[in-house]
Amino acid sequence: MTFLHPLALVGLAAAAIPALLHLLERRAPPEADFPPLRYLSEAERQSARRLKLRHLLLLILRTALIALVVLAAARPLVPSRGSGAGAAHQPTALVVILDNSPSSGVVVDGRPLLDRLKAVARASVAHAGSADRLWLMLADGVARAGSRDALLATIDSATVAPRRLDVTAAVAQAARLVDAEPLPAREVHVISDLQRTALSVGAGEASVPRGVRVLALAPPGQATPNRGVAAARVTDGAVAIAVAGTPGTGPAPVTVRLRDRDVGRALAAPGSGVTIPLPAVAPGWMVGEVTLDPDELRLDDRRAFAWRVAPPTEVRAEPGTGPFVAAALAVLEQGKRVGSGSEVVIGERTQAGPGRSVVLPPADPALVGQANRALAARGVHWRFGEPGTPGPIASSILGGIAGIAVARRYRIAPANGGGGRGTGNDTTTLATVNEEPWLVREGDVLLVGSRLDTAWTALPASPAFVPFLDALVNRLARGEALVVEAEGVPGVQFHVRGTDTVGATVYGPDPRESDLTPASADNVRRSLGAAVFEEARFAAERFAGTRRADASGLLLALALLVAAVELGVATLTH
Amino acid sequence: MTDAQRIDLLDPAEVARLGGIEIVAQGVVEGFLAGIHRSPFRGFSVEFTEHRAYQPGDEPRYLDWKMLARSDRLFVKQFEEETNLRAMILLDASRSMAWRGAPARLTKRAYGDRLSAALALILLRQRDATGLITFDEAVRQVIPARVKAGQWARLVRGLLETPDGRGTAAQAALVHLTSLLVRRGLVVLVSDLLFDRELALTALRYLRHRGHQVVVVHLMDPAEAELAGPPEVRFRDPESTASVVVRPRELAHVYAQTVRREVAAWRSACRRHGIAYHHVLTDMPFGTALRLLA
Repeated sequence: MTFLHPLALVGLAAAAIPALLHLLERRAPPEADFPPLRYLSEAERQSARRLKLRHLLLLILRTALIALVVLAAARPLVPSRGSGAGAAHQPTALVVILDNSPSSGVVVDGRPLLDRLKAVARASVAHAGSADRLWLMLADGVARAGSRDALLATIDSATVAPRRLDVTAAVAQAARLVDAEPLPAREVHVISDLQRTALSVGAGEASVPRGVRVLALAPPGQATPNRGVAAARVTDGAVAIAVAGTPGTGPAPVTVRLRDRDVGRALAAPGSGVTIPLPAVAPGWMVGEVTLDPDELRLDDRRAFAWRVAPPTEVRAEPGTGPFVAAALAVLEQGKRVGSGSEVVIGERTQAGPGRSVVLPPADPALVGQANRALAARGVHWRFGEPGTPGPIASSILGGIAGIAVARRYRIAPANGGGGRGTGNDTTTLATVNEEPWLVREGDVLLVGSRLDTAWTALPASPAFVPFLDALVNRLARGEALVVEAEGVPGVQFHVRGTDTVGATVYGPDPRESDLTPASADNVRRSLGAAVFEEARFAAERFAGTRRADASGLLLALALLVAAVELGVATLTH
Repeated sequence: MTDAQRIDLLDPAEVARLGGIEIVAQGVVEGFLAGIHRSPFRGFSVEFTEHRAYQPGDEPRYLDWKMLARSDRLFVKQFEEETNLRAMILLDASRSMAWRGAPARLTKRAYGDRLSAALALILLRQRDATGLITFDEAVRQVIPARVKAGQWARLVRGLLETPDGRGTAAQAALVHLTSLLVRRGLVVLVSDLLFDRELALTALRYLRHRGHQVVVVHLMDPAEAELAGPPEVRFRDPESTASVVVRPRELAHVYAQTVRREVAAWRSACRRHGIAYHHVLTDMPFGTALRLLA
C-alpha cells in the first residue's frame, strides 16, 4: 500500500488520544460525598464486567475512528483492477513507443492511422502520475525523457516520420531503459500499426527483463492494399525500378519523370521490378523521379533517383593483353562507350605516370617480378604472388561475372604478407576466387589475378565479358560517381568537393514500410514478449499491474460506520 | 384554608425558610390537622371505633369474642384514642443524614428534624406521651415520653442540640429503646437506613414482639434515588474512608435498579414482620409524609 499524502500519517499519533484522555480522566476525577455508597458499590459490582467490555469496545472504536480518518487523509492507494479515471498506480517507469514511421501515414477509414496512434499514446502519458518516470520513443528510436506535459506536447506535434522503426529493437531498448529505474513498476507501451516488417526478422524475441510489462496495441485485422516505389537506380542508361507493397495488391502504372516530363511508363505490381530506358542526355548530374498513382499511403508513392552521365573513357590496350580485350574494346568503341586514348591503359605493367591502369599478370612467369617492381614503384601495395587454385569468380559488385570459372590465376597478396594490412585505405577487393582476391583496386590501379584469355578463365568467352570490360574501364578504373541511398524525406542531396560534385545521396522511405501486412498477434507476443490488446482493453490494462485505487472514500465510509457503531454502543449501553 | 395555602403541602425547603423547627412544625401540623379534621393516630381507648384483623402481639383482651363466635375469625376492637399512647421517635443523626443532593433541598437530617417535630406535636396535641431518641454510632439524646406541658419544647431542643454524628448504629439505639419503653407504644424510626438491614430488623422485630407498633420512615434524598453527576467522579462515604470512582451516566440505570431493589427489600421485610414502612423523599411535602404515617 502506498499513500498520496504520506505526511498525513503523522496524524496516526492522534489515535492515542482516546487512550490518553481515558488515562488523564482517571488521573484526577472530582470528589464528592455520597452516602449510599453501598448501593453504588453493589451497582458497580453488578456492572463491572459489562462496563469493562463497554470501555474496551469504545476505546477500540474511537481509536479505530481516528486511525481511519487519518488514513483516509493520507489517501491510501490499494491494488485495484478497475480502470476508473480516479485510479492511481504505483510509481512506474514507462516508455511509450509511438511508431510514427512512414506506414503510420496510411489513411484508414478516411482518417490517418497516426491520429489514432497518437490518441492512444496521449492517453498512456496522460494517465501517468507525478511520481512516474516517462520516456517517449518515436520512429527515430530516441528515448526522450520528459515531464508528462512536455511529452504530451511532443506527441501532439508528432508527424509521419520518414524513418522506419524496428519495433523489436525499440522494445528491447525501452525494456532495458525502464529496467534500470528503481521504481516499483516498469511498463513499455507499444503503440504501432505493427507491420509484419516492423518486427526484426530472425532476431528472435526482444530481450524483456523480468518485471517489465510490455503492452502492445493490437495490429489491424486486415492488411491495407498499398504499392510503393522500393528503389530506383540508373544503370547503363536505364532506370531499374523495384515496386514493393502489400502482397496481393494489383499492378499499377509506374511513371519516370525527368525534368518535369514523363519519359517512361510501365506496369508493375508489388514484388516485381521494371527497367525503363532513359533518353540520352548531356554529361553531368541528373535527377529524376519515379511515381505511382496515389493510394492510401502517399509517402512511398514517389522516389527520386540521381546519376551522373559521364563522357566515354579513353582506353588503350597494350599489345600483350590478347585478342579478347582488343575485340571487346572495339565493340565498346563502336557503341561509343569508350574512345581511344590513354586515360585508362590495360596491360602487364602500370603506367609510369599518374594515369589509370588495369594490370594483368604477365604471360611469362619470369616477368612477374618485373611487374611487381613496377607496382611497387607506383606505390601500390599489392603484388602478384604464387599461382592460385582454380575456382569460380565471386563478386557482389560485378554481378554478371559471378560463377564464371577461373582455371589459372596468380594470388594477389599484400606486399608485406600482412593479410591486407598496410595496403592503403583506398584498397577495395572487387572480386574473389576461392575467397582470395582476384580483382582489387588501389587508387588508380586495378589488378586482375588472371589474364583475360580463355586459357586462364572462361570469362572472355562469356556474354558478360563486354559488360565486364565496360564496367572495368568506365566505372571501376575511372572511379564511380558515388550515389548512395538513405532513409529520409524523399529527395536528393549532392556531395561536393571543392567545386566538383562527387556524389549524391538519394533519400526515401525504407521499402519495407510499403508492406502494410500486419503482424499476427502471436508473432507480436513472440517477438516483443508483449501482451496484445485491442484499444479498449489496452486502456484498461495500462498500469493495471500496479494500479492503485484511492481507498480514502472507503475508509471514510468505514469511519462513518465505526462512528455510528460507537454512538450506538455509547447510547445503548448506558 | 385551601390546599394552596397549606404549608404542609409546600416544598419542604421553601417551608423551612419560614423559620425554626418550632414554627415550621406548628405550621405544618396546623395545616395537616385542618386537612384531616381528626387525629389519624388510633390507640386503645374506651370509645370503640372499628374492628381490625388480629396481629401477633395484640393484647388478647381486646379480642372481640362475639365476632370470633360468629365468624370464627380473630378481630380486635379499636377505640378512639385518648391519652394512653406512648410514642418514641428515633431519629438517625449520623453523618450520612447531614447530606443533600442539591443546595435547594433540605438535608435528610433537617427534613427528619422537622418531620419528627411535627409528628411529636400532633401526638402531644392528642395528649399522647411522646419521647425522642437521637443516635448515630451511639445514642446521643434520650428524652423520655411525657405528655406534660413543655414536652414539645424539650423535644425540639433535643433535636437542635443533637449534632451531626459519624457512623450509624441503629441496632444499639433500638436495644436501648426497649429498656425505656416498658409499656407498649408507638415507635417511629426516622432514618436513611444506610446500615445493616438484618441487624436493624432484628431489633425492630424485638420491639414488635414486645407489642409496640413500629413505623419505619426511610428518608432518601432524590439524588440518592437517581444517580447523576460529572462524567467521572470519586464518591466518598461520609461515614467511612471508603470511596469509589464511577461514571454516573454509565451506572445510573443499574444504580436506580439497585435502589429500587433495596427499598423493596426493606418494604418486604417490614411487611413480613408487621412493621409499617414508608419511603419518603426529602422533596416530599411534610403534609404528604405525615399522611403516609397516618
